[in-house]
Amino acid sequence: MFVRSKTHPMGRRLTRRAVLALTGAVYALYGAGCALQLLPLGPDLAASASVAGLLMIAASLAAFALLAGSSLQRQAQEPESQLDERERFERNRAAYVAFSAFAGLVLLGVFYIVIANDLAEAGKAELWIPQTSAHWNAVFWGLMLLALTLPAAVLAWSSGDAEDQAADDL
Amino acid sequence: MIHNRLSVFRAERGLSRKDVAEKVGVNPQTIGYLERGDYAPSVELALKLAAVFGVRVEDLFSLAPFAPLAKALRKSGEA
Repeated sequence: MFVRSKTHPMGRRLTRRAVLALTGAVYALYGAGCALQLLPLGPDLAASASVAGLLMIAASLAAFALLAGSSLQRQAQEPESQLDERERFERNRAAYVAFSAFAGLVLLGVFYIVIANDLAEAGKAELWIPQTSAHWNAVFWGLMLLALTLPAAVLAWSSGDAEDQAADDL
Repeated sequence: MIHNRLSVFRAERGLSRKDVAEKVGVNPQTIGYLERGDYAPSVELALKLAAVFGVRVEDLFSLAPFAPLAKALRKSGEA
């Protein structure tokens, strides 16, 4: 998802450090926010944890909104016809890495749920698994955020230094 | 790695990266990547760039490093 603004039709130029920091903030804040919202913390903490969780999720979405208008997000999400050959080459390489990482994470998640179910059925351990619709909503939107931001994060990880990119304006 | 003299020809013609990028239809950043040797162009892009500067592709790109400009000038002066 790339949001084109009138002032920055090619996306806002963020340094690779900024993109990596924003991506990290999206993942960390969303994960922590969902944990505070959904994990049973006892009646004393429940209300304040719920508010803190909501604030963290809102901050995560704000970081995502900044990323959605960046030039690296444009490179990751634009149709092929809008990119030049270097951008297409880098995007294809990043998409391959991002897909491999995403598929691996999803596979690990499914594996965890299978093991947790087996242990619960055998009565050996009670590991947390998503059960309610709120749990599955959190998992779904988390995976959605990951799928939308991972290619841009990989592009930032593999792109040149910020100084070099600034010099490209000359 | 592909070596190039893009920045030399660009400076000689007084063109900015944006000017060159517009002539060959790429993002100005891509010209920077090419000049630094961070990206090897396709044959099509190399031919387009050579056409912009009015030189042969092998004058612009090479598999071996280009001789320093001072050395080349000295050599042409001796000839």
